[in-house]
Amino acid sequence: MILRCALREPRRHPGRTLLAVAGVAVSGAMLLDMLMLSNGLQTSFRDLLQDAGYEVRVSPAGTLPLDTEATIRDATRLLADLRDDPGVARVAPVLAANLSMRADPTSDGEAERSVFALGVDPANQGVFRVTGGRIPGPGEILLGEEPPPPDGGAPSATADSVSIAAFGALGSGAGAGARRMPVSGSGKFLYVSESEVPVALELGTLQELTDRPNEVSFVMVEAAPGIDPDTLATRLATRHPDVRIVSIGELVDQAERRLSYFRQLAVILGTVSLLVAGLLVGTIASVSISDRYGTIAAARAIGISRRSILATLLIESLAQSAVAVALGVAFGLVTSRYLERILSDFPGLPEAVRFFVPDGRIAAITVAAVLVTAALAALGPAWRVTRMPIATTLHREEP
Amino acid sequence: MKPLLEARELHRTYDLQGEPVHAVRGATLDVLERDFLALVGPSGSGKSTLLHLLAAVDRPTSGSVRMRGRDVSSLPDRLRARHRLLNVGLVFQRFHLLPMLTAQENVELPLAEAGVRRAEREARAAELLARVGLDDRLRHRPGELSGGQQQRVAIARALANRPSLLLADEPTGELDRTTGEGIRRLFAELRDDGTAIVVATHDVHLAEAADRMLWMVDGRLGEEEP
Repeated sequence: MILRCALREPRRHPGRTLLAVAGVAVSGAMLLDMLMLSNGLQTSFRDLLQDAGYEVRVSPAGTLPLDTEATIRDATRLLADLRDDPGVARVAPVLAANLSMRADPTSDGEAERSVFALGVDPANQGVFRVTGGRIPGPGEILLGEEPPPPDGGAPSATADSVSIAAFGALGSGAGAGARRMPVSGSGKFLYVSESEVPVALELGTLQELTDRPNEVSFVMVEAAPGIDPDTLATRLATRHPDVRIVSIGELVDQAERRLSYFRQLAVILGTVSLLVAGLLVGTIASVSISDRYGTIAAARAIGISRRSILATLLIESLAQSAVAVALGVAFGLVTSRYLERILSDFPGLPEAVRFFVPDGRIAAITVAAVLVTAALAALGPAWRVTRMPIATTLHREEP
Repeated sequence: MKPLLEARELHRTYDLQGEPVHAVRGATLDVLERDFLALVGPSGSGKSTLLHLLAAVDRPTSGSVRMRGRDVSSLPDRLRARHRLLNVGLVFQRFHLLPMLTAQENVELPLAEAGVRRAEREARAAELLARVGLDDRLRHRPGELSGGQQQRVAIARALANRPSLLLADEPTGELDRTTGEGIRRLFAELRDDGTAIVVATHDVHLAEAADRMLWMVDGRLGEEEP
């Protein structure tokens, strides 16, 4: 009977109920988005780093991988030392450079493109995945997957070979120092932003093209089975103080520290939206209950207990909030995709980094937070009405 | 015969913006089994307040109310609510039915509170609604019923747990004369069936249908018209 009363009462005032549900749904959506935002960057950054399968990163002192254009000099000695370490399973050096590229044979009018080139060891690399063809060998090039054209048409065809040279060295015609390279295949690059055009070359080829024969931008290191990456990173860092050696865990921690303002902002906005939901539920509950003072006082007069009335009013509020938060979660997921598209245009962000990562745990926290807030917000007016003196209320309500 | 209800020297004083208001002054009365008693008097004379004291809805400032020898006025809130649920039926001028429930569900409400099983309470509610002439209105909501029909549902609800005392505050106050006549007949039948009834009313016809009439003026109760 309690359930029947609680579930039917909101239907008596559809406009008011709709307003309450819509308001709580919007607050729930905002809370979900803010919770996703507070966690999304870290989660996707961690996933991105772990995806490559190398747990330790070596970069020039004072920098993070691909953070600056600085390189590690005397890389040959460092790589040899890393490979000799018994705690190391695999070493994947990477050199990054901006190059100029043009499809070959060229049409007269075709302009050169600036590309972001990554030189890798074909046997050990973790910066791209081959999606067609094969890893580039010496003198070959792998092109990044072309994003689909914005008009939704078919992607442009991949050339068989390209001309490539140090950045700005192509000029018109063949260009001095340009090399013609067959395309070995295409791939999806992990650490490049949407605005960059990535290509991959064999490390030696890129070192030769950029005249940096003994330099790398960073090195990815995989720990041997049973070796703790954090311990390995600490040990290697002690042995190589001239470079920066950190584990993925440490990188994620650093990223979290750098992005803490983001988390704080998201948590504050999430809390505000929860507060708004609470105020809305409290206001609607107060209005709805004050409309029924006479009926509630009469119910108590005929012997309905305070507990039954309290339970009815709380279930009534929770039922509306449950519908609202379900709609809010759906709405929040939709808006997060829209917001993701806006925020992913932030310059320099790897394409794989996401601001909003859908997560069942976060959805559950949102639902629980909204329901607890709704229950607490409705508890005040519900408690008050059960404490009102029956006789006085009836005197006031009866003519 | 031992009275069903004994009210002794009841006083009820309210505080109204710092000033004491004496709503009931030393009311004493006995209600016998199968009694049909009418409380009459002008508005504000204290009839409703006295009814609330007799029902144990309110506590007297002093004095006592005993039902079957048990002092119900001094019981804690929870026990007074239980006492009202099981022993007293209450009818209000404005019916106060729950608008989202059907007539049958409204009658079931006190039965559900008393812990009666669903099948039993449905049968009992249907039987009571038939008793008040509404067996064809079981599934109607209050908004779909006339004032007289709503008051009959309210009376059926008041009788749900088979109380020995029915207290009604202006039960015909919102009804036209013909409909009020139906309610008067119903009270007379209920009295004949063994329920003691106390009504507070302005309705002369209803008061005349009662076995006894008590007058209330300025909170004082008397048997003679002042």
